[in-house]
Amino acid sequence: MSALLAPVPARRRRTDKIMRGVLLAGTLAALVPLALVVYYLLKQGLGALSWDFFTTDPTGRFLGPPGGVKSAIIGTILIVVLASAIAIPIGVGVALYLVEYGKQSLFANTVRYFIDVMTGVPSIVFGLFIYIVLVLTGFGGNFAGWKGSVALALLMLPVVTRSAEVVLQLVPNSLREAALALGAPRWKVVFKIVLPTALPGLITGSMLAIARGAGETAPLLFTAFAVNATTWNLGSQMNSLPIQIFNDVRQAQANIVERAWGAALTLVAMILLLTLIARFIQRRSRFA
Amino acid sequence: MSAEPREDAVRAPQPVRSPQPGAIAGSRAERSAREVISEGRSVEVRDLKAFYGDALAVKGISLRYAANQVTAMIGPSGCGKSTVVRCINRMHEEIPGARAEGTVMLDDADVYGSDVDVVSVRRQIGMVFQKPNPFPTMSIFDNVAAGLRLSGRKGDVKERVEQSLRGAGLWDEVKDRLAQPGIGLSGGQQQRLCIARTIAVEPEVIIMDEPASALDPISTLKIEELVAELKLRYTIIIVTHNMQQAARVADNTAFMLDGELVEFDDTNTIFTNPSDSRTEDYVTGKFG
Amino acid sequence: MAMGTGRQHFQEELRGLELQALGGIDLVVATLDRTLEALEQQDIELASIVVHDDDRIDGRYLEVQQGILSLLALQAPVASDLRVVAALLHVIKHVERMGDQCVNIAKMLPVVGYEPPKDEAMLEYIFRMGRLARSEVAQAKQAFLLRDVAVAEDLVRQDHEINRLNRCVFSRAVEIGTDADRREWAMSMMLVSRAIERIGDNAVDIGEQVAFVVTGEFREFSDASRVP
Repeated sequence: MSALLAPVPARRRRTDKIMRGVLLAGTLAALVPLALVVYYLLKQGLGALSWDFFTTDPTGRFLGPPGGVKSAIIGTILIVVLASAIAIPIGVGVALYLVEYGKQSLFANTVRYFIDVMTGVPSIVFGLFIYIVLVLTGFGGNFAGWKGSVALALLMLPVVTRSAEVVLQLVPNSLREAALALGAPRWKVVFKIVLPTALPGLITGSMLAIARGAGETAPLLFTAFAVNATTWNLGSQMNSLPIQIFNDVRQAQANIVERAWGAALTLVAMILLLTLIARFIQRRSRFA
Repeated sequence: MSAEPREDAVRAPQPVRSPQPGAIAGSRAERSAREVISEGRSVEVRDLKAFYGDALAVKGISLRYAANQVTAMIGPSGCGKSTVVRCINRMHEEIPGARAEGTVMLDDADVYGSDVDVVSVRRQIGMVFQKPNPFPTMSIFDNVAAGLRLSGRKGDVKERVEQSLRGAGLWDEVKDRLAQPGIGLSGGQQQRLCIARTIAVEPEVIIMDEPASALDPISTLKIEELVAELKLRYTIIIVTHNMQQAARVADNTAFMLDGELVEFDDTNTIFTNPSDSRTEDYVTGKFG
Repeated sequence: MAMGTGRQHFQEELRGLELQALGGIDLVVATLDRTLEALEQQDIELASIVVHDDDRIDGRYLEVQQGILSLLALQAPVASDLRVVAALLHVIKHVERMGDQCVNIAKMLPVVGYEPPKDEAMLEYIFRMGRLARSEVAQAKQAFLLRDVAVAEDLVRQDHEINRLNRCVFSRAVEIGTDADRREWAMSMMLVSRAIERIGDNAVDIGEQVAFVVTGEFREFSDASRVP
């Protein structure tokens, strides 16, 4: 047997095994809390799920039937949809500016810095900000669903911008060059070539931002507040799942607490669904 | 820009030196001049300088690319040949911090004139890049039509697409699968697709920046044959680091070194009896 | 990459091919020496050695030609390298011709060698021609080796002298041709003279190749139709 084909030395084999063990242990340690959360959600919340749970509003009564969470579900959907409608176009727009026009200019770098700062701002600060600017001033009424949307949008904006910027930068420059060389004005290059190419990634990023926004409680506390009845009017106070959970979990009645768990499970399920859709789109775009 | 051209600075190729009767009569250019299908335009570069920030990459060169002929730019890496051709269709200035000075005449109009629309320049001077770059979200048909749509030209798209694909020697291979994605083709086919896309907008001049360097030898030869046909309709400028390629396809050859034009003459002369010893050293492979 | 260091292997091959071809000229010089000596000494054996040794020159021709074909196919030489390769093809052809001319001279000897020579004057012309031709061939090799166009052009001067002597031989032959006794010998000597004159021409042709390699232009040094 030649010297090229020597067997793996025993010491190295041992080191390999130890490393693998350590990394595996770390992974399991990280997974344990996640598994526990899912377990508890299912254990505590599955019992609350029923037809009534999804189709009736909370009654607000401490005694007697507590009702379902219909208004919360609808409220969450409405508020988040409006927030997305605000945050996503603006966020993608800012990203487009940074990547296609601003590039490395002083202004663009300043904008980037502030976007980064915004991702670190605690969500309650956004809620307070809107509370002071929109609610206390009485602009368009007191508490309102749309004000909650604005607060969420502020939260979602930097997330959308950050991920959109990364995706747009991944579009190969050779495509922009090809389009420019064909005699296309810059705006057409951006909207007809860059944007369509980046679309799958932009959708994924947006969905993750939505998932983030849908789960935030604090901004809604001071802006949308909470009502029990279902309302489709974003100009009025509106219920939402995070608020519902927040209120319910502090009650003494076991069935109300159970309802909170059910609401939490519903919220997680909604976000999971959104994430799955995002993954699906991403995977499909890789085969394109 | 200067009003009068500096005659002494412009170097047209010198006449072929073969005083003996019975020697090969005429250059490659003369032989094919009779077969021109549609007049391309000549391009004349006068005292062109190109900067990357403060660094001077092209140090003031002047030469004339004759209409309906193939002119090759050769030279070692970094000599500035790609920069020069990118100044001709004003792609150089798309690089942040880059600028060009001097005059580039397309027949009798200065491409760098003060009221000239860059987009219209690029519609007349097309470009094919080193790495094939078809638009990934578009089908073969849409790729070829992209040039037309991006530059806002109306007209019978379908007919133009077929014409262009025929002109690029690709029609027979793709006519049954025009709706399939452009990036599903082989490397050589993708490059011919890019050529079809370029000629669909009917430019006067086509610049090819090392069009075959990413392709296998068979595809390379197909592209070279295509160039010989294309010059009957367009003026071709081809940058290549493969000297044999320049010898095979070009009527005239320009040799650049360190941002300067060392020698410019008909290809035959450059490869049998160059005037400058630096040219001699380069083509015989003593450096570069 | 620094200048002058690229394609070492190719440059060595080209140099080797050149030395091979120029070595052929050395073979011709040696053969010519032997031929003239055989003529002088009327040495029939030496003459037959010359005839047989021509195989070596022919062999050298084939070697160089094969080397040139390989170099062209595999290395794609251009510019001055290409001109050198083209010139070497011509040079080795001229070498082969010169070898054949020596054989032609050598073959005359068995015809006339058994009897004493019939005319001193003609012999004197021929031996002078022989020495001039020998010096021309050696000088042609030098010119190519040194790439010296002036040295190459100087060959014309010597060649004019050979041509002049050739005409003298012709006139002398006409003079003594009336003598039936000496006629045959005179005509054979004329053929020898012509062969030497052809050797001179081939040497000049090699000189023209030197000019081609250096300047890139091919031109005849002297027009054959002009009378110098």
